[in-house]
Amino acid sequence: MKKKFPRFSLFILTAVVILCFACELFLTKDPAYMDLAHCNEAPGKEFLFGTDAMGRDIFSMIWYGGRISLAIGFFATLISTALAVLVGSAGNCMPVWADGILMRMTELFLSVPGLLLTVFLQAVFGRANVYSLSVVIGLTGWMSMAKVVRAEVLQLRNTDYVLAAKCLGGGFFHVLFRHLAPNFFPSVLFMAVMNVRNAIVAESTLSFMGLGLPVEEVSWGSMLSLSENALLSRSWWIILIPGAFLVGTLFCLTNLGDYMRGNANRRHSNLGCEKND
Amino acid sequence: MNLLEVENLSVSFYRPEGEIEALKNVSFSLREGEILAVMGETGCGKSVLCKSILKLLPDIAKVKTGHIFIRGVEITDYSEKEMRKLRGSFFSMVFQNPMTALNPCMSVGDQIAEAVGLRQPRLSKRERRQRAAELMRLAGLDHPEERAKQYPFQLSGGMAQRCVIAIALAAEPSVLFADEATTALDVTVQAQILDLFLELRERLGMSIVLVTHSPGVAVRAADRVALMKDGELFRIGDMEEIIEDIVHKQNVISCR
Amino acid sequence: MRILYINKMLYHAGKFVLSVFALSVLVFTISRLAPGDPLYAYYGERVEKMSVEDQEQARERLGLHEPIVTQYARWLEGALHGDFGISYQYKTDVKEVIAARIGNTLLLGGLGFLLIFMLALWLGLFCAWREERAADRIICRIGMVTSCIPEFWLSLLFLLLFAVWLGWLPGSGAYSVGAEGSAADRAAHLVLPLAVVVLGHLWYYAFQVRNRLLEEVRADYVLLARMKGLSGKQVLYRHCLRGALPSYLSMMAVALPHILGGTYVVETVFSYPGIGTLAYESARYQDYNLLMVVSLLTGTLVIFCNTIAQIANERIDPRMRVRDTAGSGEVGSL
Repeated sequence: MKKKFPRFSLFILTAVVILCFACELFLTKDPAYMDLAHCNEAPGKEFLFGTDAMGRDIFSMIWYGGRISLAIGFFATLISTALAVLVGSAGNCMPVWADGILMRMTELFLSVPGLLLTVFLQAVFGRANVYSLSVVIGLTGWMSMAKVVRAEVLQLRNTDYVLAAKCLGGGFFHVLFRHLAPNFFPSVLFMAVMNVRNAIVAESTLSFMGLGLPVEEVSWGSMLSLSENALLSRSWWIILIPGAFLVGTLFCLTNLGDYMRGNANRRHSNLGCEKND
Repeated sequence: MNLLEVENLSVSFYRPEGEIEALKNVSFSLREGEILAVMGETGCGKSVLCKSILKLLPDIAKVKTGHIFIRGVEITDYSEKEMRKLRGSFFSMVFQNPMTALNPCMSVGDQIAEAVGLRQPRLSKRERRQRAAELMRLAGLDHPEERAKQYPFQLSGGMAQRCVIAIALAAEPSVLFADEATTALDVTVQAQILDLFLELRERLGMSIVLVTHSPGVAVRAADRVALMKDGELFRIGDMEEIIEDIVHKQNVISCR
Repeated sequence: MRILYINKMLYHAGKFVLSVFALSVLVFTISRLAPGDPLYAYYGERVEKMSVEDQEQARERLGLHEPIVTQYARWLEGALHGDFGISYQYKTDVKEVIAARIGNTLLLGGLGFLLIFMLALWLGLFCAWREERAADRIICRIGMVTSCIPEFWLSLLFLLLFAVWLGWLPGSGAYSVGAEGSAADRAAHLVLPLAVVVLGHLWYYAFQVRNRLLEEVRADYVLLARMKGLSGKQVLYRHCLRGALPSYLSMMAVALPHILGGTYVVETVFSYPGIGTLAYESARYQDYNLLMVVSLLTGTLVIFCNTIAQIANERIDPRMRVRDTAGSGEVGSL
């Protein structure tokens, strides 16, 4: 089964990213302006997506907030990918015992519930801003990727075609880029895309719980932190609209990542036509 | 009446890239108690031939035309359920790689006993185990009681193949397909397994379809040979006849 | 063989104790080094009105002025005698604070875990059997969508739908005021959080089972098993499942702390009085003693489950079991 290219997801994702980063061009309202005369207003002509409890326009907040959420997702992934590649490949040039300790640590980190770790770190660091949040999320998201990188490098190092390439006189970089990279690139790319996804989830969860960005700093997560009041006042748009953007983006990212992972299970099932009975 | 009769069998694989014809109008017959070697190079459709007779092909393969008879009864359109009964009793098969053909998480004794239980559901657990030990001895394994407790990865290739053969024998088959059954083994073990096949034929009177790409194997064991190429069965005949032919052809070529 | 077995258990136990010890040191150091003043947890806003001397005195009373090593030694000594100190925030014994809440978390997380454990296996088998057919595709699609929804938003969605709009189920707390003993009331309060916990994790594990089974289904032994006359379903349940089970069990052992520890988001949204909310509060307000116990509880569970997973893997999978106990001398030579 060859996977179809997720055209639709890519289109939506690109559109969201472009609109978020170019929102000054088409937005007329200031997302931080609190129009106290129009608090908790339902979606309508003037406020396309309504206003929140502080009278801010949700439509413009979505785009400004998306910018922050996406940026955190990106930066956090950058940090965790760098860490993962470092830790994942470091094991290869270290003595066995050091490698063992490194892997034990990775596994220990991995087995601690991820968000709990983030909450701990964030709570301990105190008041957050975009950078500190990226760092915290990045620091807690590298483990599974490091394991993948390590496994791939270990496996690839010992394959015959790498040996063959070396025998034919291929230099280190030649072997790395022409032979190794094409092999582990898909899985690392997949992990990176999933990492962006997880980072965005972590940001929104933290901000929602009041541990991430404060309410004044607009992001999809901090917009949702007002939802407790929204539940009481039944202002569904405060919950549903930012959430829909969040989930939509996450879904497109997942689709894209899934495509990048490539095609698994190329052989055919041995249960065969048995199943048609 | 022939034991097995295949007429104009055509099988295709339908892949996203298009249709691939794996078998083209294959016809042959198998007599009671004979060993037929099916020879040809890798990928010529020998394996597909066995699997399509047994209906063990994956979903994407379809039988396009042709008829299959056993003892004069047509089984071409048999349902899965009917085929299942045939598989456990009339047909049996030995696979190329015994290490992957055995379930790695089950002791070999359990796997043989399971096959016994399917053939003779009325036997008690202990009787099944006894019968399994009997079959293992028949397949040339000594100390079957201890051996039964072992797992496939603890056995050598030849041992494992004997276990697979014991499973096949549990069905008390009339036709045994040996799909490259000796290819993955050492040469000495190959010879032992072939001797085992010959001996089993003598003792149990079953027919064997010996799929192989090695002429040595065919010459050693087979009564008749079928030659395949690119999904076509282009020659079938007695061993001597075909050897003579080939030698003759060689001579013609070398004389030129 | 017996001695080997005992040795192994001793090894696991030793590793376990060492890991817990290392964890306690780590948490202790990090929490003490972090910015923030634990006096806030104890006195709240009153700290700002206190004089410098009063603050110093309070610190001394709480033992916060000593070097970290001494503080840790004192904490460890108390902990070994079963004394974990008092919670700065609640002003009572930490054990009491936790005892009041742990039942709620265990109920929510434990039930969630059991449901996930069974449903994931069932769903994985269901999908693997119908590989790439309509039912499988639809379930995979739905699962993918649910796995994209953050837990907190799913909770909000459920609250909005079932508690606010439809009004079918209560949306907060563990029980209604005045109905503390009623099992039905308790269950009604549990439905929504439980649904979120299960839905949030289910697909990940079901998908793992499905993929593992699809690998097994492609193995050669499936053909041999069918050759014996087994039906496809029998092959799936008797043979393929057997191959997938060890890795599933060890995966679920690791999943236990994830599910138990992951309830805190749900607990917060549903104002469910559990350990999760406690953990988050204690970290936020520098309630050291409470933080230590909560993180040690979680960490111990994590380490314990990992050890169990390892042992289970070794015991269940014959490939590892036999290699360990009887491997070298007895059968290897055959």
